[in-house]
Amino acid sequence: MNENDQELLEGLRSLANDGPREAPARVEERLVNEFRRRARVRRNTIWASGGAVAAIAASLAVMMWLAPRQYAPAREQTAVVELPPMIEVPSPSGEIAMNFYALPEASELPPVENATVVRVELPMSTLRSIGFQINEERANEAVEADVLLGQDGLARGVRFVE
Amino acid sequence: MLESPSPSDHDLLRLIANRDESAFLTFYRRHQGLVYRFALQMSGKTEHAEEVTQDVFMVVMGSAKQYDPARGSVAAYLIGIARNFVLRSLERDRPYVVLDDPDGEPAWRLAGEQDALDDLTRQERIESLKKAVLALPPAYREVVVLCDLQELDYAEAANVLGCAIGTIRSRLHRARALLIEKMRTNERCVV
Repeated sequence: MNENDQELLEGLRSLANDGPREAPARVEERLVNEFRRRARVRRNTIWASGGAVAAIAASLAVMMWLAPRQYAPAREQTAVVELPPMIEVPSPSGEIAMNFYALPEASELPPVENATVVRVELPMSTLRSIGFQINEERANEAVEADVLLGQDGLARGVRFVE
Repeated sequence: MLESPSPSDHDLLRLIANRDESAFLTFYRRHQGLVYRFALQMSGKTEHAEEVTQDVFMVVMGSAKQYDPARGSVAAYLIGIARNFVLRSLERDRPYVVLDDPDGEPAWRLAGEQDALDDLTRQERIESLKKAVLALPPAYREVVVLCDLQELDYAEAANVLGCAIGTIRSRLHRARALLIEKMRTNERCVV
């Protein structure tokens, strides 16, 4: 190593020790705030998804509890079944309207402003509770359906995939 | 009484993935200096160093699970992330980076010319060398920063830069030669 090299390395060693050695405290503060914000969002997301599932379950339970009393007598009285009214909501992209059969209690809920659609499997007997006529032999079979949830997480309508 | 051993970086990263704030703070305090200084030495600007440090630990916050010890040390992992941010900010500010300034401060002076050196304070010499390092092309600058300023060994530097150890050696050799050349040029300008 010649004199120039030696001088350069000494200079680089001085440079390595020069200047601030740590980031300012505000960086830590900003990062901690961001860490907390993310943790909060994560907790809220978990609660929200748990809440949505609970809302669906609750909506369906209420619907199935109410429906036989509302619709079963009608089924016995007449062979002509009137289909439930339709709800029309825009798709998330806003371009295509989506049609759902209104659930029995949906008319008592506030109008849908911010819809969420969740695909679920329902027992065929649920169709009867909504107002459809079904083959009783297939009442225990599952059917795939999209459930329309309102901004409050309560089910408003349903459409059947199959 | 025996003190409880401090948690390893790997343990801390696992805890960070589970949103453990104190683990994040411990990890940040352990490594922020390394990241900050690397960014500062590469960019020469405290505001860039600050921004890069923040960005690096944001990445850690969001993807702590992705660290794989088999692929290198935590230092290499962090500097690897910092390097991407630094290169991006250098690219962004390229029109404003002074690559060479023959009329500016002399970058270096020849050893042995004590009279000339006596005229400069230690801080001025460091500033001059800093300018010379910052005037190097990024590929050479980063090996000088990693090996000479951050004192990473060649293998770690190669891991950070994703190249062979031989490439590190040759770039470092060339970078030092460029710095010495700049010293001589500036010396001639002074004379």
